[in-house]
Amino acid sequence: MNIYGDRGNVIALVRRCAWRGIEVTVTALSLGDPLDPERYDLFFIGGGQDREQMLVCEDLSAEKGAALRQAVEGGAALLSICGGYQLLGKSFLTWTGEYLPGISLFDAETVGGDTRFIGNVAVHCELSGAEGELVGFENHSGRTRLGPGCQPLGKVIRGHGNNGEDGTEGCVYRNAIGTYLHGSLLPKNPRLADWLLLHALRRRHGLEALPPLDDALEEAAHRAALDLVRRERSTAGGSWKIRSPWRKGKS
Amino acid sequence: MKLRLAAAVAAGKATTWISRRLGMGAGSNFPGRVMLRLDPHAPEEMASRLPRGCVLVSGTNGKTTTSNLLAAMLREGGMRPVHNRVGANLITGITAALAQASDLAGNPRGDIGLFEVDEATLPAAVARLRPRLVIITNLFRDQLDRYGELETLARKMDGALGALAPDAAVLLNADDPLVASLGRESRASLHYYGIECEEVTETSLRHAADSKHCRTCGTALTFSAHYFAHMGKYRCPRCGSTRPQASFTALRVRPRGSAGSEVLLSTPQWEVDLHLGLPGLYNVHNLLAAAGGACLLGLGREEVEKGVAGYATAFGRGERIPVDGRELFLVLSKNPTGFNEVIRTLKGEGTGLVVLAALNDRIADGRDVSWIWDVDFEELAPLPRCLVATGTRAHDMALRMKYAGLDPSRLEVRGDLKEALRTALGRAREGETVYALTTYTATLDLRRLLSRMGAAPALWEGR
Repeated sequence: MNIYGDRGNVIALVRRCAWRGIEVTVTALSLGDPLDPERYDLFFIGGGQDREQMLVCEDLSAEKGAALRQAVEGGAALLSICGGYQLLGKSFLTWTGEYLPGISLFDAETVGGDTRFIGNVAVHCELSGAEGELVGFENHSGRTRLGPGCQPLGKVIRGHGNNGEDGTEGCVYRNAIGTYLHGSLLPKNPRLADWLLLHALRRRHGLEALPPLDDALEEAAHRAALDLVRRERSTAGGSWKIRSPWRKGKS
Repeated sequence: MKLRLAAAVAAGKATTWISRRLGMGAGSNFPGRVMLRLDPHAPEEMASRLPRGCVLVSGTNGKTTTSNLLAAMLREGGMRPVHNRVGANLITGITAALAQASDLAGNPRGDIGLFEVDEATLPAAVARLRPRLVIITNLFRDQLDRYGELETLARKMDGALGALAPDAAVLLNADDPLVASLGRESRASLHYYGIECEEVTETSLRHAADSKHCRTCGTALTFSAHYFAHMGKYRCPRCGSTRPQASFTALRVRPRGSAGSEVLLSTPQWEVDLHLGLPGLYNVHNLLAAAGGACLLGLGREEVEKGVAGYATAFGRGERIPVDGRELFLVLSKNPTGFNEVIRTLKGEGTGLVVLAALNDRIADGRDVSWIWDVDFEELAPLPRCLVATGTRAHDMALRMKYAGLDPSRLEVRGDLKEALRTALGRAREGETVYALTTYTATLDLRRLLSRMGAAPALWEGR
């Protein structure tokens, strides 16, 4: 699945490797393609529209889901966003009453809501090695609640996050991350990009640290995005949520 | 004379005049809002007084260019279109445009309504204006935060076409699988336009393609030709549904970079060789939509030919504006497909270019700027010797260009548009062109800035 510029996350990972002289091969795994859990260091799964999400759900319910779980249990890094995040949990009950089984990689359940959470988000991330603020844009009607088997990715500073109630955003299990933040997420949050790369490379290549890069532009973009979210809150008098014109839609 | 309507029209005219005087903009939406408050039936009442009825143009890209081209053709045919020319395409904008073009009793001073309509507004516009012709250009994902997903949008549009009268006509883009699938339940007659020239095809489907699956059965479509994005000649391998036969076609297309294209246009009645002064294959689609619409409205070859020849660029869609001894080439670039086509045009201009890229995230642009990661900026990256990023999301644009492969030393970030424009003009040599790629509200801002500098006529001044 690829919606909302999910491709930007892959571009960021590939570029940040290339700048460090690390060779990368990107393989697109489509519906029905077999997944060899030993072959990859890092997985990415993006968001999708309703129909795509249903097709991918069926595909993951077959062997692919089990292979993905096996890879993550073995220490592979993974980033899943929005629709992908939801399918890696235990289940997703959509607003229209459709039940989509997940692959239970994350101890998380999602239920569709009647309004969409749309807008800029800032999150405080406590992931060791990637501590600090994350910035992104959310657009989802699904409300996700985490069980004890995984940790939230961070605490919401501005925005709605997992469910708009408990102040959490995203989840982490081993080296796998699920989140509602797109925008794209990784270019403007280079520390999280490097966290994923380091954990991906540590597993099979024993890398302990990544050579630093000149992230001046990335940090400026990060700061600008953070300023924007803060300003939005102060000028819009507390009601800056945009409601979707249609209740049904992408989840 | 209806008093409510008269009061609404007077208020609309007054509000437009005031908002222009105060420099609040072209006065194209707010007056409509005031009018609807005073007389909620103002648009249907005024539209029903147009002797030749209404034409609606909808779709993601190309609404403004298509309706401006069609307006030029209609004028050649002696008609006087009432037109929401600056692209205010909600009911409010259409209402304001009608008031601007009418006398104080609400009688329009034109004979045919020509309105571009926001995709999501189409059902309301059909219900209120009862059009005799609806043209749909294409459907791309655009502003997901506003419109929801494409299938939902398509269903709404199907509903709108289903509400048309049996003597109405619908003109659809055959090359867009989603658009071509619309209107099956409609009682109106369906007509199609499309490109029939294999030389302009691309080798593969781009990732920015949105409608790659059959709308009937969900199977991946097979393409025998790709024009751009998901435009092309397609067929469903499972249910056999296929691209409809088009009546209005481009049999030959020769692209000439930013100078436009040479097109052999064919209709059921006649053929003609045309020079289209607008760059990009998407403008060939706009030409076909306009020419097809003109034919369905009873115009002939001569009106179409003269309309195209005398066409003045819609604001911000490929305008060339002289400023400070340099030339500003202004192109609206607001979603992945539009932007990719702009990049295709720029590639014809060589390297060492000075580019001004303005990215805004206001409501009308879409609050979410994720879409810039779906644009093939990797193909733009080798071209600029200097790229000035500006707009409310200047940093996002700069970062996108860095990750596309542009050397950061060639990048400059200027949050303030005026300063950005000055910087870009300063980087260009005398006589050189600055390529300004701007999202919707950034185009308006830049246009306003240029008119304040005396370089461009104000938006609402007719040309």
